[in-house]
Amino acid sequence: MTNAADPGTGIVVADHLSKWYGQVIGLNDVSVSVPPGITGLLGPNGAVKSTFMKVITGQLKPSKGTITVLGEPIWNNPSLYFRIGFCPEQDAFYDRMTGLEWVTALVRLNGLSDGDATEMAHRALEAVELTDAANKKIGAYSKGMRQRVKMAQALAHDPHLLILDEPLSGMDPIARRKTIRMVKDWARAGKSIIVSSHILHEIESMTSNILLINQGRILAEGNVHQIRDLIDEHPLTVYIRAEQTRGLARAFLAQDDVLSLRFEDEAVVVQTGRPDAFYARLTDLAASGELGAIHEVTSPDDNLQAVFKYLVKS
Amino acid sequence: MKPPPLVQSSVRIFDLSLGQMLWSRRSVFLGVLLGGPVLLALALRIVSTLYEAGFRINGVRAAGASIFGMMIWLLYLRFIVPILGVFYGTALIADEVDDKTITYLFTRPIPRRAVLFGKFLAYLACTVLLVLPSVMLVFFLVVPTGGGSIGAAFPSLVGDFGMLIAGLAAYGAVFAFVGTRVKRPLIVGLVFSFGWEPTVLLLPGYLKRLTVAYYLQALVKHEMPQDSAVSVLMQVFREVPSVAASLVCLAAIVAGTLWLSGRAVENREYVLEQ
Amino acid sequence: MPIHDQGYRRYGGDKAPRGQAWMVIARNGIRHMLGKRAFLGLLLLSWFPFFVRAVQIYAAANLPQAAFLAPTPETFRQFLDQQQIFVFFVTVYVGAGLIANDRRANALQIYLSKPLTRSEYVFGKLAILMTFLLIVTWLPAIVLLIVQLAFAGNFTFLRNNIFLFPAITVFAFIQVTLVATAMLALSSLSNSSRYVGILYSAVIFFTQAIYGVLFAVTRSTSFSWISFPANLAQIGDVIFRLPPKYETPWLVSLLVIAGVIAASGLVLERRVRGVEIVT
Repeated sequence: MTNAADPGTGIVVADHLSKWYGQVIGLNDVSVSVPPGITGLLGPNGAVKSTFMKVITGQLKPSKGTITVLGEPIWNNPSLYFRIGFCPEQDAFYDRMTGLEWVTALVRLNGLSDGDATEMAHRALEAVELTDAANKKIGAYSKGMRQRVKMAQALAHDPHLLILDEPLSGMDPIARRKTIRMVKDWARAGKSIIVSSHILHEIESMTSNILLINQGRILAEGNVHQIRDLIDEHPLTVYIRAEQTRGLARAFLAQDDVLSLRFEDEAVVVQTGRPDAFYARLTDLAASGELGAIHEVTSPDDNLQAVFKYLVKS
Repeated sequence: MKPPPLVQSSVRIFDLSLGQMLWSRRSVFLGVLLGGPVLLALALRIVSTLYEAGFRINGVRAAGASIFGMMIWLLYLRFIVPILGVFYGTALIADEVDDKTITYLFTRPIPRRAVLFGKFLAYLACTVLLVLPSVMLVFFLVVPTGGGSIGAAFPSLVGDFGMLIAGLAAYGAVFAFVGTRVKRPLIVGLVFSFGWEPTVLLLPGYLKRLTVAYYLQALVKHEMPQDSAVSVLMQVFREVPSVAASLVCLAAIVAGTLWLSGRAVENREYVLEQ
Repeated sequence: MPIHDQGYRRYGGDKAPRGQAWMVIARNGIRHMLGKRAFLGLLLLSWFPFFVRAVQIYAAANLPQAAFLAPTPETFRQFLDQQQIFVFFVTVYVGAGLIANDRRANALQIYLSKPLTRSEYVFGKLAILMTFLLIVTWLPAIVLLIVQLAFAGNFTFLRNNIFLFPAITVFAFIQVTLVATAMLALSSLSNSSRYVGILYSAVIFFTQAIYGVLFAVTRSTSFSWISFPANLAQIGDVIFRLPPKYETPWLVSLLVIAGVIAASGLVLERRVRGVEIVT
């Protein structure tokens, strides 16, 4: 498993960062470097994700250690906010303003003229598909629209780094799909995005680069598949649907890298402690064809949920 | 890129906040508060029109200007201006925190103190826009009673406007500072305005200089009413600084407390209610 | 049975009879306030005048040269008057957030979805505020009466002023009921306890200021019914058999007080609901 990341290379770099409230420790000696691109910040409720979000957006000051965002300390550094857009978790607005008025007013705080600010607000609302509702009061918006107008204010000034705290919360499935697509589009356009969520499949659909946090500590960071490979004490489960499952099972059991094996409908499910060696043998068997056709090979636990479960419970 | 200058940032926050303040539900409270004296003035005008003998103060027929002066003292100076200062001043940042909208302002490329200054300006504009018309209406209703002349009394109205603006600014700034430093600013504000100030103004010595009322009262040209034993005592121990000294001190209070509030806001962490 | 069921089991014990749920709200509210150091400080400070009066009574009873300090019924009336400032601060501190905080947290729906009636909810909240207000008014006054008995060493004072005990009780209860219902009604109008505190302060001071103007202009105290503190003072004087301060008939003051309590009840009836009815 990886330890402290190499400082200085990431878009957000924390070095022995701790944050406590009186006697209660929030973040506990966190050292991490978030690379450019989309990074999912994952953790169960109470994992201190929001505290980490607040520290990296300059709302909270570190009690110990340092935090730099885009190469500069964030606390009391307002000029950094030209390059950062933050979409907070809370559902709070100036309800009497229209979406356009609100986004424009916030963009004006970047020092833009009224005309420029309005134009940028229009573009941002178009990007989140809120053009039709731009002149309606935010108080009349649905939950999904409120989430989208929040994102509009975060990206209206074209920031380099977007920090989204639970951006899909309260959205219906169609809105979720659209938002996930938007996030991927922004990443393709060159922005870096940090997305926080406790819903695994949402993060999985956006990125495979994760930062897993629990009880104030970083459990793991990096590509989810690499992390999975490194969790040695949890054998990999492989599901193989084939013509001759019994023949395959005999071949597998001949070697010692298979820990357990069971049969399911036209399939054999294997647990292996050495996935590389196992996959190499499987590839040879499939290529030779001596044990019939192999229709499907999947790994039910080479995914975020399994990683999460193994690491959080360990 | 450099953040916009403090003044420009503050003005933009002012633009954002003024509408919020003017059209919020609190303005109903403000309206009732400021409508009360107007209704009272209207009632006095009606009564004085029907009752030819007019009103008497200390056995002498009261001119409208004296009654107006009394209302300035009893309603505006001793009550409305401090309560508006407590109400809005303590809530400048606290309201945004309670409504959880502070995040949007603090994650913009503007100094945090610009948020405070902008909101302070919005509070001042909002209260001045509402208080001055109330005073003007009371003036036009009350001054003509008892044979008073609007023309003769008009210069004092201008002076009263200035005094009220100074009072709103000073109380607002002091309570903005209280709001940034103290956990229960409302209680502290009420203790200061309706406990500390009236008590200390009765005592001889230097303590009265630790109030806003001491300097503000020096700007009032109307005679202090003797509506109670406390007022009579206040008259006995009253020291009145010069207008120039009062203005300088009030300006220093505004500047000093706003600067301290700005510092507090820059360094404080605002943890939103979950 | 060797393996026991680990699943959910229904509570099979005793339950309090219905109609006592308000006590749970009251108990929790009181405990919550007593956990705040600043509030405990305020309560302690509110007993300072009691100690001053106790020393006065001791001195009057034991030192011949201090006999002029001997208590009279007016002493107890004045004592309750002096406690007004603490009544105000305790009311703002405790009462402003009683319902406002529940509205803010959307907790009213949760409360009223339990086997708890609206009346029980309101009584529970009232009980919190009234308890602390009585601790600041009725309790020290009664203890002062007992202190007077103890230091005097005889029942002469009590025999001559037997009305004092019911007078203190009745006046304290009228005052506490008026203040508590008014504050609770205001608290039900808003989500912000700060706003409620200011609203309450405005009502108290504004009515007093309006009366002040009318008195200054007319030199008559017959407009005292406008001022809430003045109405209470008028009733207090009548209860303690003292000459009333104001020209307003005491029945008018009593009617105003009753009217405010009734109006507060109406407001509470409209505002304390699980759901908002929008017409």
